[in-house]
This record gives sequence, C-alpha cells and structure tokens, in this order.
Amino acid sequence: MKKKTRGLHFWKNNGDDILLDADNLFWALGRRTGETGTFIPKRTLELYAKFKEALDEEIEDLRFGQELTAIYIDPTDKCNAACQYCYIPDDIKQRGASLGKNELDLILKKIAAHFRLEKRKQVIIFHAAEPLLVKDLLFEAISRYKNTFKFGIQTNGLLLEKEDVGFLIKNRVGIGISLDSASRDTNNRLRPSASDAFKKVSQVLEWFNGYAGLNVITTITKHNVNQLPGMVEYLHSKKVPCVLMNPVRLTQVKARALKPDEPAMTRSFIKAVDRAMELSKKTKHKLIIGNFTNTVLSIIAPAARRLMCDISPCGGGRCFFTVTATGDIVPCGEFIGIKGFTAGNIFKTSISQAMSSKPFKKIRERTVEKIKECADCKLRNMCGAPCPAELHSMGNMYQRSVFCEFYKSVIMHAFKMIKENKIGYLLRAASLENLKYRYNLCAER
Amino acid sequence: MMNKKIGTPNGRNKNTGKKDKPVDNISYRLKCAKTANGLSHFVMYGDVPEDKTLL
Repeated sequence: MKKKTRGLHFWKNNGDDILLDADNLFWALGRRTGETGTFIPKRTLELYAKFKEALDEEIEDLRFGQELTAIYIDPTDKCNAACQYCYIPDDIKQRGASLGKNELDLILKKIAAHFRLEKRKQVIIFHAAEPLLVKDLLFEAISRYKNTFKFGIQTNGLLLEKEDVGFLIKNRVGIGISLDSASRDTNNRLRPSASDAFKKVSQVLEWFNGYAGLNVITTITKHNVNQLPGMVEYLHSKKVPCVLMNPVRLTQVKARALKPDEPAMTRSFIKAVDRAMELSKKTKHKLIIGNFTNTVLSIIAPAARRLMCDISPCGGGRCFFTVTATGDIVPCGEFIGIKGFTAGNIFKTSISQAMSSKPFKKIRERTVEKIKECADCKLRNMCGAPCPAELHSMGNMYQRSVFCEFYKSVIMHAFKMIKENKIGYLLRAASLENLKYRYNLCAER
Repeated sequence: MMNKKIGTPNGRNKNTGKKDKPVDNISYRLKCAKTANGLSHFVMYGDVPEDKTLL
C-alpha cells in the first residue's frame, strides 16, 4: 500500500491549529500564541510517541478487520412509494420478487449456524425496497428468532399501524423511517406513489413517542437542501432521538437529477447540527444527527464509529452484506443491479465463501490511499471517500467522493465542536457513559 | 467512565465547583468501556438498550 503522507500534518481551522496523523488519527488542537509561537508543546509530542503504535493498531483493526456485524435482508423488491432517489433499479422493483416464509427461514437458519459460536446476537436488518409489504412474514420471523438475532427495519412507514409499533417496541426492534422534509409538499413530491406520506409518517412518529430504537433517515436532495434546520426542529418536536441526514447517492442515473448544490448543502447541514445542539441544550430531549456524531467519533473515538460508509475500506463485504429478494449476496444494497459484484446466492453459497469471494475482496481492497485525490488528503481516514458503488456507476470507484468538499467542511465543523467542548450535546447520554479515555493530554499535565 | 472535564458540557472543577476554563491545547482519545451487542455504544439498528426500552 502506498502511503504518501505518513506523519503529522499541521494546519489552521477558525484560528485554531490542528495537528493530525492522518493514518492513526492522533490529533491535537491548540491556539498559536503569536506569529512565531510554537504550537506543538513537548508533552503533545511525547503523548504522540507514547501512543503511536497502539493507535496504529487500533486503526488497522478498524479498517481491515473482517468481523461481520450486520446482515441486511431485502425481503421484497416491491415498493409502494417510488421515491425518486431509490437506489434499487426500476427493472428490479418491477420484477417484484419476494422471499417466502420457508426461504426467509432458511436464510435465518443459515446465518444463525454461521454465527453459532458467537456470544453476541447477530444483527439482521430488513431493508429496501419496502420490507413492510411483507409485514406478516417479517413479524413472524422476528417473533421466532428474537432470542437468536437483534432486528432492525428500514421502512417508509406507510404500512405501520399502531399495534405494529407496539410489537416493534416490545421486541426492541431498531426502526429507521424515511422522511425528507418537514414540509408536506416537499416530502410528498419525492414519493409520488404514496397518497400523503408526510401525514402518515407524522402519525407514526407520535406512536413511537421517543422510542430509543427509532431513527429517521433524511435524504438530502435539491428539493430539501435548504430545509435541514427546519427538519431538525420538526423531528425534535416529535421526540425523535436520532436522524441521519445523508446526501443522495448518485448511483442510479435518475438520482443524479436530484443532486443538491454542495455549498448550500454544507451550510444547511451545519446549521442543522447547530440547531440540534441548541434544542438539546434548551430542552430535556436530545436529538442526535447520527452522521455528524459519527464524524465527531471518527476524531475522538474512531473505534466507536457506527456507520460504515465513511471508513476506508467501507463496511460493504467486510462488516456487512446484503441478501436480495432472490437470494443474491452483494456487498451492500447500493450494488444491487450492478454487474460483477454478486458474491453468490445464499441458497447455494456459504457465508464464508461469499466473504472470500472476488467481488467482496474488490471492495475491501478499495482504500483511500489508492485514490489519487485522497492519498495526500489529511482527512482521508475520517471521510473514507464514499461510496464505491456510486463512484463505480459513475465510471471508476477510484476517484474522490462526489461530495468531497462537503465531507471536509463537516469534519472541520466537528473539530470546532470538539474545541468548543460541545461533545455532550452530540452524543447520547448513555454513549458518554460508555466511553473512557485511552489518553487525555489535560490529565497528563 | 468519561471524565467530565472534556467532552461533556458543564464540566466543573471538583475542588472549586466552578466551571472549567477552556484549555488551549486539547488532545484525547476515547474508547468504548462497554459495548452494546458487542459493537459500539451508538444506538442504531438492532442494539436498542434492553434496560431503557420505552414500553
């Protein structure tokens, strides 16, 4: 692996100096005392020397470990919303395949057998197209396997009823609901097949009533790009604990027409982060913008990162994979319909075979050091240059991220929040309690 | 568990009870003391805390 810029980088951000080892993510923030002032105190360099090797190992494990942490199952190709930015090709949705009860049972048994020696429960996530179109199938599987797996569902929420919400809470199912705007018109415009998705989801959020396993996913497009702070206010009023505000993936050609203006997205996203912190500070309810929190974690606690798109190589085919409605195994849902990335079929291929397959290796070999624009970027291991599927579909996965400048600005804002000591508003209270220092410069004075 | 001096709001000096002053030089690294479902602490799909689930 070619590493062009090993060592400590040094630059300014909002008047502060930042010191960073781009490879093991050792960092220090300081304020220059004068034009000729020295930023790097001796004790900072001593700290770096003391922990460098341990941090190298930590990041090596994070980036190149192959521990499966989740398996996505798409139980059906069908959908009832037709979101304009959907990552599943239209021809696959029109195919309309769905898993049957015996097929899903076989898949879950196979996964359980693969992980039979693991102490922890494997995470199973039912994902797109719209999994609740086969709600009975999923709920029956959750009931049957709740002692074997932890479950999550990503849904547009249109088919959820009050008793369903009770079932999901009772069984501690993680639930992600797609909602793109606090404006009814904007949200519904993106989902032309649904009669009034906004009204329905608004009701569903109230039924969940602040449930800890609830997340909202807001996909940022040109239609809602300036509405993110308003979205934060809306979700906070609904007691939602976590939202992911993700830039639209341009994997599918039709999604490219929805690309948001990058500077506008950056401004709006950072305003949303700041608004969420203000609301969390003023009220008893804390709303986390999950992808910003994940960026903060990439600086202060890299091994605690939860999202897998901004680690290089990404988590696809490494920490998780997707099983489609026909049983095909792909590194990630973004690869559905892209030729050359199917690792086999769950009904014929073992999980070990899939993990060692060429398509999965191809994704695991895609590191930021091999991308020309990223090799010299000091932030490369905080952003990870997502997403290989998106970039492959645009010609070449070894190019910089579509929203490179956005990610850089968000990372800089994360450094600013760390400097301003606002971490307490960005992580859940329980999360803070579960973190401990590996080292702390202040404590070593 | 996490030191209140950095990383949490309203950090206070143990002796004086006054708010800590911002420090000029910061560098720290955190790791998970306890993990949810063997993963990280961050509640996402599938790792809803069992003792805090709202029923």
